[in-house]
Amino acid sequence: MEPLDQDLDASELELPTEPMLLNVGPAHPAMHGTVRIVMELSGEIIERCDVQVGYLHRGFEKMCERGTWSQVFPYVDRCNYVSPMLNNVGFALACEKMLGITVPDRCQWYRMILGELARMSDHLTCDGAMAMELGAFTPFLWMIKGREMIWEIMEEETGARLTHSFGRVGGMAAPPTDGFKEHVRAVVKHILGIVDEVERLLLGNRIFLDRLENVGVISAEDAISLGWTGPCLRATGVPYDVRKAHPYLKYGEVDFDVPVGSTSDSFDRFMVRLAEMRQSARIIEQSLERMADKGPVNVDDPRVILPPKEEVYNTIEGTIQHFKIVMEGLKLPAGEVYSYTEGGNGELGFYLVSDGSGTPHRVRIRPPCFLITAGLERVITGQMMADVVPSFGSLNMIGGECDR
Amino acid sequence: MSKALIELVKKNFPDAVLESHSQLGDDTVVLAPGRWKEVCRFLKDNQQSDMSMLTDLTGVDYPDRDPRFEVVAHLYSLSRGHRLRVKARVGDREGETVEIDTLTELWASANWMERECFDMLGVKFLGHPDLRRILTYPEFEGHPLRKDYPAEKIQPLVQYRDEPNIDKVAPFGVDEGMSFGRQTHKVGIYTDADGDGGARRKIISPADN
Amino acid sequence: MPSFKLDDKDIAFEPGDTIIRAAHRAGVDVPHYCWHPGLSVAANCRMCLVELMPPPGRPAMMLDVLAWDDLHQTYVPQKKPKLQPACQQAAAEGMVVKSQTSEHAVRARSAVQELLLLNHPVDCPICDQAGECRLQDYWLEHQASKKRMHDEPVHKPKGVVFGPTIVYDAERCIMCTRCVRVSAELAKDPVLSMRERGNLNEITVAPGRQLDHDYTLMTEYVCPVGALTSSDFRFKARVWFLRSARSTCVGCATGCSSFTDFDPRNQKVYRYRPRENAAVNKYWMCDEGMLDYQRIHHNRVLEARIKGEGVSDLAALEKAAELVKQASPQKTAILLSAEHSNEDNTALLDLGKALGALQVYYTGRPQGQGDDILMSADKNPNTAGVLALSGGRAKPFADLVAALKEGKVGALIALGSAIGNPNDAAALKEVRNFVALSTHDGAIADHAAVVLPASSWAEADGTFVNRTGLRQESDRAINPQGASRPAFRWVQELAKLLSLTLPWKKVSELRALSQGTETAAATPSVAPGAE
Repeated sequence: MEPLDQDLDASELELPTEPMLLNVGPAHPAMHGTVRIVMELSGEIIERCDVQVGYLHRGFEKMCERGTWSQVFPYVDRCNYVSPMLNNVGFALACEKMLGITVPDRCQWYRMILGELARMSDHLTCDGAMAMELGAFTPFLWMIKGREMIWEIMEEETGARLTHSFGRVGGMAAPPTDGFKEHVRAVVKHILGIVDEVERLLLGNRIFLDRLENVGVISAEDAISLGWTGPCLRATGVPYDVRKAHPYLKYGEVDFDVPVGSTSDSFDRFMVRLAEMRQSARIIEQSLERMADKGPVNVDDPRVILPPKEEVYNTIEGTIQHFKIVMEGLKLPAGEVYSYTEGGNGELGFYLVSDGSGTPHRVRIRPPCFLITAGLERVITGQMMADVVPSFGSLNMIGGECDR
Repeated sequence: MSKALIELVKKNFPDAVLESHSQLGDDTVVLAPGRWKEVCRFLKDNQQSDMSMLTDLTGVDYPDRDPRFEVVAHLYSLSRGHRLRVKARVGDREGETVEIDTLTELWASANWMERECFDMLGVKFLGHPDLRRILTYPEFEGHPLRKDYPAEKIQPLVQYRDEPNIDKVAPFGVDEGMSFGRQTHKVGIYTDADGDGGARRKIISPADN
Repeated sequence: MPSFKLDDKDIAFEPGDTIIRAAHRAGVDVPHYCWHPGLSVAANCRMCLVELMPPPGRPAMMLDVLAWDDLHQTYVPQKKPKLQPACQQAAAEGMVVKSQTSEHAVRARSAVQELLLLNHPVDCPICDQAGECRLQDYWLEHQASKKRMHDEPVHKPKGVVFGPTIVYDAERCIMCTRCVRVSAELAKDPVLSMRERGNLNEITVAPGRQLDHDYTLMTEYVCPVGALTSSDFRFKARVWFLRSARSTCVGCATGCSSFTDFDPRNQKVYRYRPRENAAVNKYWMCDEGMLDYQRIHHNRVLEARIKGEGVSDLAALEKAAELVKQASPQKTAILLSAEHSNEDNTALLDLGKALGALQVYYTGRPQGQGDDILMSADKNPNTAGVLALSGGRAKPFADLVAALKEGKVGALIALGSAIGNPNDAAALKEVRNFVALSTHDGAIADHAAVVLPASSWAEADGTFVNRTGLRQESDRAINPQGASRPAFRWVQELAKLLSLTLPWKKVSELRALSQGTETAAATPSVAPGAE
């Protein structure tokens, strides 16, 4: 029997080691949506990992080629499903760019207000989920309550809480309801209160800060090379926001700041989103003041807008207009366009190719969080297993947008 | 917007630019596929263009054209705020030999986007470090975004049960599932009529009596 | 070539062409309702009005009009150029015509469109023309404005039965008289005409008559709106669900070019439409041909049979091979069909050659009625093709009947479903070892020991040679129905079981072979059924 305390650097006694393969599978409570991360762990440290997406791939881009241009709206809704209005507005703007039409001012303000509300709902979900995964359940419930209030506004306006399909080429599906402005002001005030409370609760908490600070760091060069945009890029210190850099709708006429991080860790990403909610509230307040209470919401173009139902049922012209737009689809002129807006996660781009008919030839949705998830490998490699949860949470990967 | 970028590319690579246009304000150049990486590298490194970001890389299938596919990349400069769309036409009518150089050395975002383009359209990116499917599962056959791939086609990994009236069959077969909670039969008795110790449990239905 | 300018585009024209005809030839569309390239000019819709710039040195012809001045809320006198109908104006060298670039022409079109829609019923949801209706298309392109009339529209009779095939709706009619001209000029039977005047105008059938000539469905085809509808196609399918295959009509030896409209979702053919072919049928098809699509789904043999009982494909093939082997090559006969395409007949001929069968006969559908407009008395699409493929060796059916009586036939492999003279059907009862590749039930399939279900003309690409020797291709529309396969595939399988090699493996090879062996034959001497 060999004594065990002989020096163990002789190779015969060395135990064979191999890294442990851990499968953080697609069905996992901390995987936002369905993502599979196959990790090679050495102890707690992740040596290598392979991020596998595609579990929520529904073939949207293929499905869009089978219907008409207006039938794409339900599909884009279900991309970033926590801020669907931003997707709707983005696609409607892309089609309008191709047609060369501009919606009336009242519609532009309306779109901005609904879009910023959707952005707030997105950030509430992301930050709330992050906090919950670290064990802070209370802020999560507060933020979800805030999100519920936003969804109530959406339900009042559009009829659906989440996937409204409210945008239309040339306007919106319906004008704002009568109590819209008061409702929004009340809700925004409440949500700002929630944001303040959450800050007070979390930012003094040692554990929360330790788990997020200097965790999941990525350099600005890496982020730019990876094509990151949105809050994740701004947390690295790059102040790129599509609303400021290339203003669309009326973003050029309202005052708001773009929060930018400095250390580019998970904490910065959390704080950038929290601060952005305050800026969204500012935009909403200014838009509410500037939005007219009366006036058309849709552009007056019979090629794209459906006529009112009394005309459809009673006049032949209304019937024909309705028929052409619904059965053949509104026709975008042949060509291609790339149109981009600031979605919840960054630059949401639409590359549309039209062959002149009512059926799209190609609808490419440029998903901001696809590239952010591509960077997940770089973010978590070298970190500990437990850091995966907050880092991944801070990236806000929405399965619907990543996989389409 | 301004055509300065198009002029820049044309001046430095006059024989690589096959077409260009500025439809709807989007500057576009169509490149010869062999010069793809070279021109993109120039656009990234050159001070005037300074394309720091590859925001989008995708493909489009034009089944009536030859070359059939178009690889489309959108480049963006964070410092200058200008954009350029670069395209290259590859592939023959049957969809074979659809190849183009990879851009992963220039921008890391090309990695996953080229994987998606390969998955959806079958475009092979030469020199890609890890060209495998990303949105579909590895056993998937075909390239779904191609126009000749039927949209109704399904390729389930686990074959559906061969049940003629599958809509009418409960999620479990008559002798699967737990006995409690199933209110389908008035008399929920399990009998050992076959004498095999309940190996195949038989539920008596009122109609059997 | 002399040319004129239309919207700054040079259009070449032939002497005698009108502007619209020359533009039509060049692929430029001048909006029109009443003009049709195959009919005389009526110029009553006024939709094709264009502005002609005056020749150099001459002033333009200007008309005095009163225009509404919104600012002063009164009518003010103005001048506008006189517009000419492009369908009637003969083109001249150096003419400058403005269609889309002339604001007057654009306004005129919008006005014409508005007036046409003034009393039009709100029928789109139930009108068969929806989806292929000119009123809809032109409203979107040229008018795009709402209704300005608030009075009750004029009401006229709807659902008037003109004849056994056509139903007329007077409210939808725009009085373009295309139907009147088709009946008079194509069918040479001027049975339709207009009655009443002004906004009480209607199309009417001559008293005591019905719309019953042989080209009534062409009136429906030329009608740009849903006024004339075919009772056969009414309410059966919506046109935007239908896809069209470029086909050739197999109703008779004329071989008109057609479109086969089918619904890919349920794989059913709903109608034929004529396809433009200057060499054969110009723009038209006869009623018999138009309704011939019904045969694709009627009376079909859709499963393999042995002695009338349905069996599996393999069982039938094996029995067929067994039967064929029982007879010696001298006693094996091949029966070709003038109903089937060149590909099917070539395949069977090759099988016959490989077997060493020397007796080759042909048959087809019985003769019918022909006329001097489009219809041929020979109701088989490929008589000339069959005779050419067999190098003239194929003998008429009567010879087969004689050979059967003399006991010279030990086995018969037949293609097709009908025979030329129904009285000869009895002779087929005596055939032993009878293998048939049939599409429909009929004399051949009923008497055969083994029936292999063949696909019809709409289920496979095929080449047909018409009565003038013109070879035309017909594209596949729907998938093979039931258990049917194209006849050449059955031949391939049979050859495998008989251990014979055929000179082709792929369909493209078969097509190449079935083009090469024939000569451009003139009218065949004996059509099936005319013996």
